[in-house]
Amino acid sequence: MSIINSIKETCRSLGKNNKPTYVVMAIAAVKGICRPAFTMMDKTEDPKTKKYTALREGLTEAIAIPAYWGCGELAAKLANHVFKDEALAKRAEKNLMFLGVCTAALVVIPGLCSAVIKPIMDKLGLKAPVKGEKPQQQVQQPEQAQAVLNTPQQFKKPIQQKDVYKPTMNGYMARPNMSGLRVGGL
Amino acid sequence: MINGISNLLSSSQLANIAQNTTQSVAIETTLKSIGRPGFILVDKDIDADTKQYAAAKEFLYQATCLGIYMALIVPIFKKGGFKLAKNHIFKNTEGFEHFENVKEYMHYRKLASNPSVKNRLSTLDKEIYSENILVKDKYDDTLRKELEKEKPNKFDSVKGAVELSNIIGSVLGLAILAPQVSHAFIHPALKFLGLEDKNKKNNTQQAQQIAKPQQNSPKQQLNKIV
Repeated sequence: MSIINSIKETCRSLGKNNKPTYVVMAIAAVKGICRPAFTMMDKTEDPKTKKYTALREGLTEAIAIPAYWGCGELAAKLANHVFKDEALAKRAEKNLMFLGVCTAALVVIPGLCSAVIKPIMDKLGLKAPVKGEKPQQQVQQPEQAQAVLNTPQQFKKPIQQKDVYKPTMNGYMARPNMSGLRVGGL
Repeated sequence: MINGISNLLSSSQLANIAQNTTQSVAIETTLKSIGRPGFILVDKDIDADTKQYAAAKEFLYQATCLGIYMALIVPIFKKGGFKLAKNHIFKNTEGFEHFENVKEYMHYRKLASNPSVKNRLSTLDKEIYSENILVKDKYDDTLRKELEKEKPNKFDSVKGAVELSNIIGSVLGLAILAPQVSHAFIHPALKFLGLEDKNKKNNTQQAQQIAKPQQNSPKQQLNKIV
């Protein structure tokens, strides 16, 4: 019975004022839980990559929630400064909040993600390999060089290209400043 | 210019969109599907092929989200939520008893939002619901009397029930369903556009460049060292 009453109360409150921030924050919250969970459940992926991707996805949504709320509320507060008429100010408040949410989704969140996520990941010790990183060549002495000649020749397996898409850490990091773009889920 | 901005900010139409979950989500997704690929294409730090690939991927993801949202979530949750609220949660009370479906309620709400009583009633007299049926014939006495009042009852519970079901639908559709569908759809689409192969080729070249020093024969290695 109390559940029904709380649903009724939520409906009344949403009917009076349905802020544009509610839906985007709800989507970001569910995404922040489900996307890392789906990533961790993927059995085909390397555990290290899974951990890195899941944490990155979780952090992205954790940034998105306060960004949506902050941008929406800040923009809405401008209405009282711009419009002196109460009715117009009330309408402008809703419009500005919507525009604030759009700005957050388009500009603020991708910008914040690219600025904040990498340092956090580095602090947590989850450094991704840099694009095009070459293995370090060790300086060898002439005696070591003779030993190289005596060892049997080793052939490296050719790199296989599978038709199935399989995300790799290298592929994921190939576009480091873009991986945080898919945020807010909308 | 300033007048245009202030008109936009105080626009009642934009306020209605901002208060409507489906319309605001659809607009945000459309903006994202144009804006985000645009920002990627403008970025000068990325090479042209990667830019094209990333922009196409982002566009396809947002377009898939919008498609799923409009095709599945809006009709199912909007109509289903109204029926559930009318028959089970509110049990034909708090305004639900006056409306058969969401369309009827939305029409009434639009009329009730008109500040002029005269305009409201003249619009109601003109509007046709379907062949030979006027909209006012579908309205019961309570609704007609409400529209004659200076501040008519907008039955916020009905609006709230529709919005709540839309929010639930948006969350399920955009946070859970859309990423799964887009994962299955985006890669074949990129392959069809010839962007996936290009990106694979680049990755292979990169991998070969990394592997090259190890593939040298021992004799070549010795020559390099000496």
